[in-house]
Amino acid sequence: MSLNVYYFTEMPYHHIDDELAEQWPSLRLTFPNSYFDPNKATDLFKRYLDEFQYAEEAGFQGLMINEHHNTPSCMDVEVNITGGILARMTSKAKILMLGNMLPTSDNPPRLAEEIAMLDVLSGGRIVSGFVRGIGVESWANNTNPVHNRERFEECHDLIIKTWTTPGPFRWEGKHYQYRAVNPWMVPVQKPHPPIWVPGTGSPETVEWAAANRYTYAAFLTELTRARTLFDSYREHANKAGWEPESDKFAFMICAHVNETDEKAQESGKAFMWRMGHPLKGPREYWAPPGYFSQAGVTANAARRQKPMNEMSYEELQEHNHLVVGSPDTVIKKLRHIKETLGIGSLLLETQGGPLSHKDTMRSIKLMGEEVIPALQD
Amino acid sequence: MVAFKEEMVDVGGTKVHTMKGGSGEPLLLLHGAGGNNGWLKSIDALAEKYTVYYPSHPGYGKSERPEWLETIPDMAAFYTWYLETLGLEGIRAVGFSMGGWIASEIAATCGHSFSKLMLVGAVGIKPNVAEIADLFIISPAQVLELMFHDPNQAPEYQDIYQKELTPEEAMTAETNREMAVRLCWKPYMHDPRLANLLARVNIPTRMVWGKNDQIVPLECGELYNEAIKGSDLVVIENCGHSPQVEKPDEFIKIALDFLA
Repeated sequence: MSLNVYYFTEMPYHHIDDELAEQWPSLRLTFPNSYFDPNKATDLFKRYLDEFQYAEEAGFQGLMINEHHNTPSCMDVEVNITGGILARMTSKAKILMLGNMLPTSDNPPRLAEEIAMLDVLSGGRIVSGFVRGIGVESWANNTNPVHNRERFEECHDLIIKTWTTPGPFRWEGKHYQYRAVNPWMVPVQKPHPPIWVPGTGSPETVEWAAANRYTYAAFLTELTRARTLFDSYREHANKAGWEPESDKFAFMICAHVNETDEKAQESGKAFMWRMGHPLKGPREYWAPPGYFSQAGVTANAARRQKPMNEMSYEELQEHNHLVVGSPDTVIKKLRHIKETLGIGSLLLETQGGPLSHKDTMRSIKLMGEEVIPALQD
Repeated sequence: MVAFKEEMVDVGGTKVHTMKGGSGEPLLLLHGAGGNNGWLKSIDALAEKYTVYYPSHPGYGKSERPEWLETIPDMAAFYTWYLETLGLEGIRAVGFSMGGWIASEIAATCGHSFSKLMLVGAVGIKPNVAEIADLFIISPAQVLELMFHDPNQAPEYQDIYQKELTPEEAMTAETNREMAVRLCWKPYMHDPRLANLLARVNIPTRMVWGKNDQIVPLECGELYNEAIKGSDLVVIENCGHSPQVEKPDEFIKIALDFLA
C-alpha cells in the first residue's frame, strides 16, 4: 500500500532564545512583536522556500503549509500567499494547505476564489484544508469563539457552493450574506479540490469529516488516540453505508533523519524549541470560553496524559510525537505508524524550530533517498 | 430573612428561572455577566420593602436560551416580553454590571417598562480613558481578584466564592461564562449606540459605583451620568466592582433611599 509523504514546516522565526521566551507567559498572542526583525525574516523565508523546493526534488509527494497569527512559531500568516509561491516554484508535488481558517474569515467567496486561483496556477495540485483555527486564533482575529463551529460550517457550505454551482447566486446565511456570488475564478479540479480537515480530538470534527467524506488528519496525537479517532470516522462512514479507504486518513508528526542514530539524536534536539515555548500559554489562550463543546472538553481530557511542552526529548519520541534516527530507525517507526493507523498520508514536520539549513537539507535528502521509498510497500 | 420561592416563568416558550420574594411593589434585579449569585444579604434587605423578581438571564443557570438570543439588545427585547408575561409595567429596576447594560437598553428603548432605574458598576458604555477589564482572556480566579477592593470586608465572600462547587455548579459556571462571551464578545462589553439612546431616558436614575472598581472604571459611571438627564452618581469609597457584596450595608442604604 503506497503512502504519500508530505514535507511540512511552520517556517518558524526561531531567533527567540530560551531566556527571552521564558520571560513571557506565552509565545502566542501577546508576545511583543518588537522582537521581530524583518531582515532576519527575509533570510528565513528564502531558506524555507528553498527547502520546500528541495523537498519536491528529493521525492516528497506533497508540500504542506499552515497559518498562524501573533506568534514567532509560524511566520506563515496566509496559506494562500505561500500556496501561490509554491504553485509557481514547484511542478509535481501536491500543495496541501492545512489550512485556511474558515471561522475567522469574513469573506468566504474571496477564499473560494483565492483557492481556485491557486488550483489554476498549480495546474490542479491544491489540496484544500479547512481548519477551525486553534483557540488562540479566536483572540488574534477577534471572532466570537461561541460561533466558531457554526461559522466554520457555513463558510464551508458557501465555499463548496461557490465552487460547484454556476454563478451568480445569492446567499443569505446567519453569518454571511452576498448579493451575487459569482467569482470568475473556479478550480481546475472537479467538482473541487480535495478537502482535508485536521483534528486533535473534537468528536464533532471527526463526524463532520466522515459525513462529507473528507480526509481527516490527526495532528500530534497519541497513536492510540489517533486510532480511536479513525475508528470513529470508520464507524460513522459504515453507518452511512460506505467504507473509507486509506486516503481518508492522514497523520502529522515531527520527524528528523541523520546519517546515524547518534547524530540524529543530537541534531534532532532542535525540535525541543518547537515542542516547548510555542505550546506554552494560559488555558484561556488555547480554550477561550465557548470554543470547545462539552464533548470536545471531555475528548481533550482524554487526549494526552501530559502536555507536550512538559515532555522530555525521550518522552516525545516514546509517544511518537517526534520520530528521530538513522534512515533505518525512522523507516521502522514510520512503518509501524502506517500499519497501526492504516493511513494514506503522512505529514512530516521535517524542519522545526532552530533546526539548521544544513541539518534540514540532509534530513530531506535521506528521507527522499531512503525513507519515502521504503514506506511504499 | 425574607422567604423566597423559585419558579420557571414561561416567556414565549422559554423557561426563565426566577427567584421571587418579599412584599410591596415589584422590583426587578438583573445580574451581571458571571450569573445569579443567589439570595444575598443585600437582596434580602430589598425584599423587606419590595417584591423582588430576580431572574437568571436566558442562557444562564437553569434558564433556557432561545436560539435567536445572541446580543444585549436581544436580551432587552426578551425582558420586555418577560415583564409583559408577568403583567409588570412601570416598575423599579436595579441592574448590576452587565445587567445594568441590559436595564439601560430596556429603559432607552421601552419607556414604559421602568419607573426608577439603578445601575451598579454597569458596562455598556465605552470609557474614553481607561478600559473595561477583559474578563474572558483571564481565568475565573483572576476575575475574582479584580472584583474586590478588599474581599475581607465582604461578609458573604467565603459563601459565594470559596465554596467547593459540585460538578453541576462547575458546569453552570462554564455555561454562564460561555453565555457572557456570546453576548459581549465584540464590541467588548459596550454598544456604541447606547449613550446616544440614553438621552431618551426620563425616569429617575441613579448610578452606584465602587470607587476602586478595577473591572468597570468609575469613568463609565460618569459617562452614564452625563448621558441620562437628571441622574445622579453615588460613589462608594474603598469598594470594588460589587458593592452589593463588598459593602452590603452601605449599598442597601443607598438603594433603599433611591428606590423609596
